[in-house]
Amino acid sequence: MSQPTLPKKDQAEDSENATNRRPFATAIKKSRTRPALNLQALGIYIAAVVIFLIFGLLNPNFLTSGNLRDIAISASVNAIIGLGITFVIITGGIDLAVGSIASFVGIVTASLMVNAGTSPFLALLAGIALGLACGAVNGLLITKLKLPPFIATLGTMSIYQGFAYVVTNGRPVYNVPRDFVFMLNSYVGGIPVAVILVAVLAVLCWLLLRRTVFGQNVIATGGSEETAWLSGVRVDRVKIAVYALSGVLAGVGGLVIVARINAAQTDAGSPYLLTAIASAVIGGANLMGGEGRIAGTLVGALILGALTNGLVLLNVPSFYEQIVTGLVVVIAVALDQGSKGWPLLKKKKTEPQKEATA
Amino acid sequence: MVTPLLELQNIAKSFPGVRALNDVSFTLERGEICTLAGENGAGKSTLLAILGGSLVPDHGSVIIDGHVRQHFSPRQALADGVRIAHQEPAIVPQLSVEQNLVLGRTARQRRDAGKDIDQALADVAQMGFPLKAKASVRGLSPAQRHALTIARALAFGAKIVALDEPTTSMLEHNVEGVLNRVREIAHTRGVGIIYVSHKMPEVMSVSDKVVVLRDGTVNYTQPIAQTSEQDIVRNMVGRELLSFKRQHPVPPEAPVLFSASGVSHPTGGGPLSLDVRAGEVLGIAGLVGSGRTEFLRAIIRADKGSTGTVSVDGKKRRIRSPRDSRNAGIAFIPEERKHQGLVLQVPAYFNVALTADRQFNGFGPIISVRKQIAAAEEAAARMSLRPANVRLNARQFSGGNQQKIVIAKWTWRNTKVFLFDEPTKGVDVGGKVEIYELIDALAKAGSAVIVVSSDLPEIISLSDRVKVMRQGQFVSEHTGDDINEHSLVANAMGIAERTTT
Repeated sequence: MSQPTLPKKDQAEDSENATNRRPFATAIKKSRTRPALNLQALGIYIAAVVIFLIFGLLNPNFLTSGNLRDIAISASVNAIIGLGITFVIITGGIDLAVGSIASFVGIVTASLMVNAGTSPFLALLAGIALGLACGAVNGLLITKLKLPPFIATLGTMSIYQGFAYVVTNGRPVYNVPRDFVFMLNSYVGGIPVAVILVAVLAVLCWLLLRRTVFGQNVIATGGSEETAWLSGVRVDRVKIAVYALSGVLAGVGGLVIVARINAAQTDAGSPYLLTAIASAVIGGANLMGGEGRIAGTLVGALILGALTNGLVLLNVPSFYEQIVTGLVVVIAVALDQGSKGWPLLKKKKTEPQKEATA
Repeated sequence: MVTPLLELQNIAKSFPGVRALNDVSFTLERGEICTLAGENGAGKSTLLAILGGSLVPDHGSVIIDGHVRQHFSPRQALADGVRIAHQEPAIVPQLSVEQNLVLGRTARQRRDAGKDIDQALADVAQMGFPLKAKASVRGLSPAQRHALTIARALAFGAKIVALDEPTTSMLEHNVEGVLNRVREIAHTRGVGIIYVSHKMPEVMSVSDKVVVLRDGTVNYTQPIAQTSEQDIVRNMVGRELLSFKRQHPVPPEAPVLFSASGVSHPTGGGPLSLDVRAGEVLGIAGLVGSGRTEFLRAIIRADKGSTGTVSVDGKKRRIRSPRDSRNAGIAFIPEERKHQGLVLQVPAYFNVALTADRQFNGFGPIISVRKQIAAAEEAAARMSLRPANVRLNARQFSGGNQQKIVIAKWTWRNTKVFLFDEPTKGVDVGGKVEIYELIDALAKAGSAVIVVSSDLPEIISLSDRVKVMRQGQFVSEHTGDDINEHSLVANAMGIAERTTT
C-alpha cells in the first residue's frame, strides 16, 4: 500500500495546481484518465476488427456491403436483447427468461394481429406492454420473494415459454400483416430498420445508464448493494425496473424476429438467450455486477453475427459454429480479466516491489 | 530443562498502514491454561491467526515441542496439533454432531475416529451438554454448539488449543461445567490452552497464567495467583494516545439537535435512547459485539424489524429506510467502508453523488456529470483528498482517503447528524488525525456527531461525552475527567462495581 505513494504525490500536486487554473483543470485530468478507461474496453474493438479482417481475407464476399448488412441484421436481435441483459448483469443479476419472453411476446402480438384483427401498431404496443409485465414479474420475484435471479428467471423462463405454447396450442402464426413487417423489416435509405432500431435503442440505453440518476443507481446497486442501500438508493425499485427493461427489450427482440421471418413461432426466441448473454459478456459485462458497457454489447453481438456469417461463407459445417462461439466467449472474458491483471501475472510483478520496500 | 510445549519468539506482523503485532514472545507449558487478554485491536486475533497458520508472521518464530515451524498454513497447524475454536462456532448446521466432529478429516481418518468421537461426546456430556452422535446440529442451541466446538478442538490428539471467547453464548451455570472440564482435560492430557475472554471472573478461575497484549506487544505476564482483576485491566489500558485534542468542544449552551428514543434492532439490544446536542461529539464505547453497530443501523433503519423514533432539530422524523434517514439529514458512515461505504470500481465523484437524488439534474432525472465532478472536487478540496483527482476509481485511494470520500458523500448535502462506525478502522496514523480533524470540523459547524469506536484513545480524544454499551444496553455515561480508559474498560467489561469499591 505504501508503495505507490510516489506517483500519487505527483498526481496530487499536479491536480492541485490544476484546480487553481479552472479552465485547464478538466483538460489535464481528461488526458490522464481517459486513455486508461478506454484501454480496457479497446481490446474488444480490436478483436472485432481482427475477426472482420480475417474473414475478409479468407473470403472476398465477406466484406461486401450486402454481406455486412446481413451481419448487422442478424446481429440486431442479439443486440436488442443483449442491451437489456447488460443492465441486468450490471446489477449483479441474470435474466434467463429473455428468450421465452421474446417468443411469448412474438406469438401474442402475431395472434392479436392475425386472429383478433388488432391493428399492427396497437398489437406492437400490447406486445411491448406484455414484455414489460413479464420482466416486472421477474423483478418482483427477485426483490419481494428474495429469490436468487438465476432461480427466479429459470422458473419464469419455463413459465413464459409454456404460455407461448398455450396461446396457439403450439402452432405457429403465419401471414403477419404487411404493415407490421414493414415497420420492423424494411429499409430506410438502404439501411435496415432493425439496424436503425438497434442504434436508437443503444443510444437511449447509453443515456439511461450513464446520464441519469437511475443509471448510476443501477451501477451502484451492482457494485455494492449495501453501499447503495445505505446511501439511500431504493435498490428494490432499481432491480424491478431493470428486469422490466430487460423484458421490454426482449419483447422488442421478439417482434423483430416475427417481422423478419414473417411468422411467429412458439419458441422462436429461445436460441437468443445464450447468445444475448454472450454478447453482453463479450462486451465486458461482469457477472459479479457493477460493470458493463452498452457499446461493448453491440460489438459482442456483431462479433457473434460475423462468426456465424463468416463460417457459413467458408463452408464450415454449422456444428463448428457453436464451438467457435464458445471459444470467443471464453477468450473475450479471459482477456478482459487479463487487462485487470491475472493473479499469476500480478504476483510476479509485485514481488520484487515488496523486496524493494523491505 | 524441558522444552516448553509452545514458544513464541519475537512475533511481528504488519498490515498495510497498521502494525498489528510488534514483538510478542511467551511460552505455554503442557497442561497450562494461559489467558490472552487485551483490548479490542491489541493483536489477539492476529496472534491466533498466526498460531492457526492462516497468517504468516513478518518476523519471529513459532516453536512447537522444540521444532521451529517452517511453513505456515492451516493444514500445517492441524498437523502440529494446534486447534483454534473461534468465537463464531465453525459448525455446519446441516450435518449431525458426529459428522461435525470429523469434518475435514479424510475417509481413512474417519474410519479410525470412533474412539475420538466417543471421547469428544463424553467431554461435551461432562461439560453439561449430553448430545447424541446422530443428532442434527440444526436443533442445537448456541451454547450447545459452542460446547461442541470446544470439545472438537480438544479431541483428536490436540496439543495446543486456543479458545476464543468460548462462553459468550452460555449461561452462568453452564460456564462452570465447561471450564471445569476444560481444566481437567488440560491437566490429564497435557494440552496447552490459550484462553481468550473478556469475562474477568472466568479468567481468574480457569487460568494458570495471564499474558496481556497492548499495542501489539506483551505488556504483562503473571501467574494468576499473583495478580488481580484490577492489575490485568490496568495493564490492558493506557495505550499510546495520539496527540490529538479537539479544538472545538461543545459549547455549554448548545441545544439538542438529535434525539432517538426506544431504538432497538431485530437482533436484540435496546430499547435505547439518547440525545446529542449541536456541536457535540458523543462517543459510544464497548466491546466488539456489544450492539453498537446495530444501534446505529437501527437508527437509520438499515435492517427490517428495527424500531424507535428519531427527531432532528426538534422535529419528529418518520424514518422507514436509509433513504428517509438521509432525507432527514442523518448520515451513516459504516465500518466496512469497502463494502458498505463505497462502490470501489467507479470514480470518487460517482460515489460522492450516490447520496444525491436529483440534485445534479440537468433536466428531470438526467444528471450532469460536470456538476457531479464539480461538487465532488469542492468536497475533496475541503478534505484535502489525496490524490485530489475525483475521476480516479474509489479503489485507487488509501484507506484514509477512501474514508474522506465516504464522508464527502454526506457533507455536500444538508446533513446535520453524523453517525460514525469505527471511523478510522484500517486507517494509518496520519490519516487518523485527518479524520479526527474532519470530525472536529463537522461538530464545529454545528452537527451532532456520534462515534462508535473500539479504539479507546480515539473515543477519549474525540468525545465530549461517552456512553458505554454492554450487551445491548447503555451501562454508563462519562464526561470530563471520567472519560478515561480505566473507567470505560471497567464498564465495558462489567467489572465497574468491583473496581470502584
